[in-house]
Amino acid sequence: MNNNKQQLVLDIRGQICPSCLLIALKEVTINADKLNNKEMSILILSDDRHATATIPDAVHSMGFSTTISKTDDGYEILINKK
Amino acid sequence: MSNPYLLIIVTSSMCGLIAGFVMHRSSFCVTGMFRDMFLFKNYYMMRMLILLIVVSMAIFEVGTIFGLLSANPFPLLGPPSLATILGGVLFGFAMVLAGGCVVGTLYKMGSGSVLSVIAFIGLLAGSAFYAEIHHLWSALAKSTSFTSGQITLPQLFNTPSYLLTFPIAIVAGLYLFKVKDKLTRPSSVDGYIQPWKVAIILALLGSVSYLFVGMPLGITTSYAKLGASVEMIFAREHVFSLPYFTGLPLSYIPPFTDTLITGGAGPKLDAVAAIQYPLVLFITLGATLSAVILKEFKIHYRLPLKQYVTVLVGGFFLGLAARMVPGCNIWHLWGGVPILSMQSLIYAIALLPGTWLGSKFLAKYIITH
Repeated sequence: MNNNKQQLVLDIRGQICPSCLLIALKEVTINADKLNNKEMSILILSDDRHATATIPDAVHSMGFSTTISKTDDGYEILINKK
Repeated sequence: MSNPYLLIIVTSSMCGLIAGFVMHRSSFCVTGMFRDMFLFKNYYMMRMLILLIVVSMAIFEVGTIFGLLSANPFPLLGPPSLATILGGVLFGFAMVLAGGCVVGTLYKMGSGSVLSVIAFIGLLAGSAFYAEIHHLWSALAKSTSFTSGQITLPQLFNTPSYLLTFPIAIVAGLYLFKVKDKLTRPSSVDGYIQPWKVAIILALLGSVSYLFVGMPLGITTSYAKLGASVEMIFAREHVFSLPYFTGLPLSYIPPFTDTLITGGAGPKLDAVAAIQYPLVLFITLGATLSAVILKEFKIHYRLPLKQYVTVLVGGFFLGLAARMVPGCNIWHLWGGVPILSMQSLIYAIALLPGTWLGSKFLAKYIITH
């Protein structure tokens, strides 16, 4: 585990489809190199249930892994290199 | 039964509550089904729509054969026309901007989405605004009708409906069997109900409504009605001067009664109100119930202003388009397409270019972070 790993937090609580997935895909694409080099992870805060299915669906096919956890204020989706 | 409204109100309330609950659990968004094909090349939810239509088609046909369903075609469907195509394209475009269709907006609003509340307000305004152009639009619909009064394909071909519906249902059923591994979706979200189960539940609810109310689920006229009720506060005389708000297009004898009841888009509490107001209310409450049980009912309103404006404008045109068609996704896709209503089939095809345009527009101009 790289302790200097940068974490990008995307707070998209309140947003509905398809903005959740569009925003996530945009940030993942922009930061693909850093994610691939394991210099960065992306943490998405969302309260849209649909996003917890669509975001993992889409980023898995790009070679990234996702971890989903429920919080008091919705869901956290953590995106990392597989 | 002495009161023809009782069975209608009870049925619509129950159907709405269950529908709102399960749609929230599985994110059963019809707008997403169309939009995500164009935006993300994701066809998963479109398969769910096909499943819903096939199951409804089979049940409606069997129900008609056994004489359980009072009328086929059911009331309020009309012949297809140019107005159906134009309305369908606008509906497809607007539902993408509004972030949900006429029903999707309800379950999202019920689960706490502020954007969907704004879209709902736009929907009421757009639906009521239609009354201003109704005389022009209905003239266009009449003069461009594609048939001489026939509503369904079996009527057009003058053939028993099962000769068309059963082969279609079998072919679509075989397709679904072929892709059966792609009918489930992995999800780690709390309380998730697989969309294929929800598709079947919704087909059953449509059948229950057809049996007890006399038609499948539909809600759009009540948006104009609710819009007119609000407009009454400001412009009472104007509302009563508009033919659209005084007409009574619904006139039928509901199942299990012998009383003729009527209804229209005006503010009066009539048959349309009895059928549709409970659906609007209970779909919303069903989603609220689901979200509260999961402790997911949260309200977030700090969003880009652009998104608020987009859903308001999208909602307005969605409401307007729903009157231009007339009808919406659940009315036509879950109700009309299964009995091969030509208006519904043409509407479904018209949704495609509309949704495509909406997706391109949204991705290019609206969503920025």
